[in-house]
Amino acid sequence: MGRYSRIWTVYKKELIETLRDRRTLMAMVFVPIVLYPVLMLVLVQALSSEKGRQEQREYRVVVPTETQKQWLEGVLANEDAEVIAWQKQLEALHGSDAAETANTREQLRTRLGSAQIKIAVADDPSHLWDLVRSGLFHAAVITREIEAQADAASDGNRLVQILYSDTSPLSEVVSGQLNRILSNEAERQIRTRVESLAGSLDVLTPVITSNLSTTSPDRQFAKALALIVPFLLVTMTVTGAMYPAIDLTAGERERGTLETLAVSPVPTGQIVAGKFGVIVTIAMLTTTLNLASMTAVIHYGGIGDIIAAGNAAATDLDAAAAEEALLENPAQPGSMEWLQKDHLQRRQRLEMEKAGKATFVAEAVPVVLLSMIPFAVLFGGVMLAVCSFARTFKEAQNYMMPVMMSAIVPAMVVSYMPTIELQGVLTVIPVANIVILMRELFLGNFEASTVALCLISTCFYAAAAVVTAARIYGNESVLFSDVGSYKTLLQRKFLRPATAPSASFAILLLAVLFPINFYVQSSLGDPMAGWQGLAKPVVVTQLLLFAATPIFLAWYMKLDLVNTFSLRMPKLIHLALAIVMGLAVVPVSLMMSNNVRAWFGSEQSMAQFEALAKGLEDAPVLAMILVFAVLPGICEEFAFRGFLQAGLRKSMAPLQAALVVGLVFGIYHIQVIKIPTTALLGVVLAIVCWRTRSLWPGVIVHICNNGLALVAQWLSEKRKDHRLADLYGLSDLTITPAAGITLRDSIFLAIFLGALALIWITSKPEAALQSASSSPLPAAQ
Amino acid sequence: MNATDPIVQVHELTKIFPTTEGDEKRAADGVSFNVRPGEIYGLLGPNGAGKTTTLRMIAGLLTPTSGRALLAGYDPRLDRETAKRQLGYLTASTGLYQRLTPRELLNYFGELIGMDRVARLRRIDELIEWLDMKAFSDLRCGGLSTGQKQRTNIARALMGDPPILIMDEPTLGLDVLTNRVVLDFIRAEGARGKAIILSTHYLDDAEVICNRFGLIHDGRIVGEGDLPTLREQTGNRRLSEIFLALCGESEHVLEGGEGVVR
Repeated sequence: MGRYSRIWTVYKKELIETLRDRRTLMAMVFVPIVLYPVLMLVLVQALSSEKGRQEQREYRVVVPTETQKQWLEGVLANEDAEVIAWQKQLEALHGSDAAETANTREQLRTRLGSAQIKIAVADDPSHLWDLVRSGLFHAAVITREIEAQADAASDGNRLVQILYSDTSPLSEVVSGQLNRILSNEAERQIRTRVESLAGSLDVLTPVITSNLSTTSPDRQFAKALALIVPFLLVTMTVTGAMYPAIDLTAGERERGTLETLAVSPVPTGQIVAGKFGVIVTIAMLTTTLNLASMTAVIHYGGIGDIIAAGNAAATDLDAAAAEEALLENPAQPGSMEWLQKDHLQRRQRLEMEKAGKATFVAEAVPVVLLSMIPFAVLFGGVMLAVCSFARTFKEAQNYMMPVMMSAIVPAMVVSYMPTIELQGVLTVIPVANIVILMRELFLGNFEASTVALCLISTCFYAAAAVVTAARIYGNESVLFSDVGSYKTLLQRKFLRPATAPSASFAILLLAVLFPINFYVQSSLGDPMAGWQGLAKPVVVTQLLLFAATPIFLAWYMKLDLVNTFSLRMPKLIHLALAIVMGLAVVPVSLMMSNNVRAWFGSEQSMAQFEALAKGLEDAPVLAMILVFAVLPGICEEFAFRGFLQAGLRKSMAPLQAALVVGLVFGIYHIQVIKIPTTALLGVVLAIVCWRTRSLWPGVIVHICNNGLALVAQWLSEKRKDHRLADLYGLSDLTITPAAGITLRDSIFLAIFLGALALIWITSKPEAALQSASSSPLPAAQ
Repeated sequence: MNATDPIVQVHELTKIFPTTEGDEKRAADGVSFNVRPGEIYGLLGPNGAGKTTTLRMIAGLLTPTSGRALLAGYDPRLDRETAKRQLGYLTASTGLYQRLTPRELLNYFGELIGMDRVARLRRIDELIEWLDMKAFSDLRCGGLSTGQKQRTNIARALMGDPPILIMDEPTLGLDVLTNRVVLDFIRAEGARGKAIILSTHYLDDAEVICNRFGLIHDGRIVGEGDLPTLREQTGNRRLSEIFLALCGESEHVLEGGEGVVR
């Protein structure tokens, strides 16, 4: 029976069983189809009724004297009269187009009418403060006339003080409204004053602006959705995946069926693959149902109108301002025409918007679903791996909490930061990249290559998670709870000596070190602080992360240090050949990176190199070589060619392990442009370590690679001795690198590869490591 | 392979677990025995004697610290699939999928073993007939009684008609009637030429149906052979007495009822 048909068998059975589970159905069907629309509709109802209430609500304002009350009432009456006049003018302008005028009225309605503001005179003017503070009144208005150059055409100037309370929403509303009304009043007075002085209001409108968005209405709608939908979908997908992930792993163990699966003649990997498929399926089903339900609610339930209204409001406000300005000024016939044309376009857009909402949602749903697949795949894998550790349902639920947070928090952050773009490191940061990708898909601006990188990296993380799950799932201490607790897996006194770390542990360590390294490099590095600023992060990461951590772990886990870090003495001939390789390595790696840069057309690394060189100008050469060549040469070899390679060798062929070591080594050099060169170099170093069975030849090549370029530069700049730099081709570094190989490069390459070949021929690598099961027994107690 | 050659070969199986106190616990210590086709081998011993650990190592669920077990010549750690195909495995703790019916469950395991559709359906009907499961074969397992569950479990273990059966406490917690059914079934399978390793607390039952016994105590086999041999060796008649005599000390034993070692 084929592997895939067996995975299919497992998949089929688990899916049937999951779908028969009431709890899954609850999370998958009930929530989106029933609860969700109901909640949405309740929200809509609440919002609209709240709006209605606001319109009828009375606001209590207190003033110190009767005169001030009369003045304020006069202002409110002016405001009302103006609003009514505008409405009439607008209706005359647009005819009785209901939709359009309604929309404009919507704007007007946000002003409080005089009927809503009840003004009272305080018995004792000195109590105003307390009256507002105690909540008896929503605001107090105190006015004082300022003696100024008041003339016949105008009132005098006034100082108006508004007392309000920050803790009462009603007070905030009314004080805001009063501010607005008062500034309108001020404007009216300015207009009167200007007109009496200049005879015309034209002087007030030197520039009239009118804004019209070129974005199609459906995209505008998408923008509103793009902010909330990814977050909702991420939450839904994670919730959907959670229950089956727990049930198919920890649940199965708890019910004792795991044992029956373990004795059936099916490899664990295939069982895990089938289960993984079910988790992803359920997560996607949940997402689809949610999306469908969301679409329906948006479409029929009125949420869409609210979002669209908010959206339209943003554009309408600008247009309204322009209108206002023009309507003040009917003396200009040309501007009125322009306004009408403008208005016509706007109406067309509003009509399109109504139709657009429907088509947009229909178009977006498949795209969004597609972008959810990698996310579901990633979280399916992660949850499966995490749940595989748990022995009981409850334990698994506890483990799920951080996993859910790791999905929801990035989604939330991205939702609140609409300006983050999908570029640079973000494209490969799990979760964040998918959330941003989804938003970009919504908005319709994305590049194929970025999307591909996003998807590939996500699939890679998911694969790693599934592989980890498969490893954990079959583990005997997880299979049987009576075999010993995890404590025995972690405490040193329970650990048994081993020749090398396991492959998964080695990869795990480097995966954990990766973000720490990234963080230390970027937080400690200070190019402004001269060479010490550049040296600090290097010293910290090299010593602590790459040397101390693996060595400590190797000791803690009772690993064979000599074997793990290949600390054997190499043969003399290999040392000699390593020195030859080291002498030739600088032009070779320079040639490679030049070609890579030419290929990608990047100048970035060049600029950085120069910045580095500048920072290092005044550095003592010995310290420089120690920090940037010797330290990395030793520490990185310990971590990569030592710990990682020894671990990988346990479950991989030597060359395969060398390739992975190189790849990881490359990825650690963060900048994309550096990855190909460092990865290739990493592979070569791994091969050298494997063939010579010693770390030291690689250390020599590594130190030479980092150090000789520095030496050459130092010689040519400080000692004016350009021979080494010329020899290595460092003198003719250009900003735009040329592709291809020069004669000098090919000679060095030949020397480099020749020495490598000689190492290969003259070495006899150890026999393949024996599998763990037949390794010799440690001595009995 | 000759019919009288052992089909299960257990050689010096040892399993050492680290304990939380920092010591090592030898759950099994050099356990060796052979089982021939048609033989019902009783692996008996008190709680914590190492029976389950030994059986799990034989089934390939645990990796032995040293020694090895061969099932029809295959090592379950090296030729996982071939070795496991020889094996039907049943313990008191093995569970059923609550939301599948016995029929679906059997079909699933048949598919995993790699049986084709026709063979599966025939075998399922056969097992339902034999184990008298007709009444509940289309109900969900979650709602079955303990006895019905155990019958389904037995059917599951026998689905691929494997030549070797490992049964760890198959009658634990069963009523008298189902107990009878299970024992009869074990006997019948033995008569059909299967090699069966049976581990149980119920010494009376074991005395009746097993051909040969391995008595295990503190991870070590302290006595092995058929009933006459063991009687001769210890001078006792009943299996429980023989057991006490061989274990030497009685501190672990005989707290429960007659003939039950706990």
